[in-house]
Amino acid sequence: MDSRDSAHSQISLRYRKGDLIMKEGDYGISIYYVKKGHVRVSKKQGNSEIDLATLGPGEVFGEMVFLNKTVETRSASVRALDEVELEVWHPASLSREYNQMPPILKFITNQTLARLTTMNRMYAQLLKKKKSVRRGHAHEQRGDTRKYYRKEFNRPCTYRPLNGPDKPPLKGLVAEISVAGASMTVGSRNTLAFKHTVDDEIVVFTSLPSGRELELPCIITAVNKDHAPGDVHIGLKFMELDGETAKAIGFFMIS
Amino acid sequence: MEIDSSVYGYMVDEQEYPDKKIILEEDSIGDWVYIVLEGEVKIKKSTKKGVITLATLGKGSIFGEMPLFVKREKRRTATAQAHGPVRVGILDTARLDREIESLSPQLRNLIKTLTKRCRETMKNISRLAGED
Repeated sequence: MDSRDSAHSQISLRYRKGDLIMKEGDYGISIYYVKKGHVRVSKKQGNSEIDLATLGPGEVFGEMVFLNKTVETRSASVRALDEVELEVWHPASLSREYNQMPPILKFITNQTLARLTTMNRMYAQLLKKKKSVRRGHAHEQRGDTRKYYRKEFNRPCTYRPLNGPDKPPLKGLVAEISVAGASMTVGSRNTLAFKHTVDDEIVVFTSLPSGRELELPCIITAVNKDHAPGDVHIGLKFMELDGETAKAIGFFMIS
Repeated sequence: MEIDSSVYGYMVDEQEYPDKKIILEEDSIGDWVYIVLEGEVKIKKSTKKGVITLATLGKGSIFGEMPLFVKREKRRTATAQAHGPVRVGILDTARLDREIESLSPQLRNLIKTLTKRCRETMKNISRLAGED
């Protein structure tokens, strides 16, 4: 063991199989070192979760927030796969060392970090594509099997791809809405800026007649280009809505 | 990308490659670390259904750095191929090794994990891309 070890606080944590150790989206700055056992790193994608990695003794997680100063929340969830013992490192002392490390190592580390992020995204996209090919047939029918009553809405909206590059938002019209989803009409020119395909995730911004603003993360469930020339009809299913938004839509539905 | 000025101090050699020339090959053994000085390099990996491009690296990009952090694995994870004429710098591996050795076990582990995860993800991508 290195003498510098004493500079780091040595708090140990134990977890049992299945325990959630870190939750995607939560705030947190600690770094965890796996002493015993194995953990699984996973990330949300739409309504499902994809596994990014399995880590074992000697490996570290929770490092993204520490290394990437523009990230404030956990970029993935971590669960215990068996009996797990972790050492918690507070980032303060590591941070000092990191800043004093030879610039070339920082230069390399930053590139590795950027590459890992890119590779994770590539893997997630590939996984999504494979899944949608497998489920291809089911999608065609999804638009016909509505479980919820839809109400006419006809209000303008803007939208943009979720997790995509920050481009100017696109414009459309929310034609109908339900508590679980909506249908949107957009000009076919919009498809030049963003290829609307089933399973793409977008955020739609619109407002209720009362003036209440709505921010709706959605998954595209259907794309229909044959309704009217120049128009594309898009079926949307809401992803997790926050309680207040869901309530506001609920009130609108019965008003 | 701007090349960090400190990098030049580690450069021991420069090499030029014509378009399409392989700079390092997947599964071959080697621990040289490269930096792109001019031109572009494609990082490619084989799958059961053919070769896929994982990344295109430009000026300032480091490649071949994985063995620095994961000592046991000297086999190259992917192929690096010149995309147009390329000039690369070769970095002093022994000196980089010493710098890494001088880090605390914590920091070294942290960087090592990043590298391992990067490599694992590249393998996952290649596996998935090769599936039907």
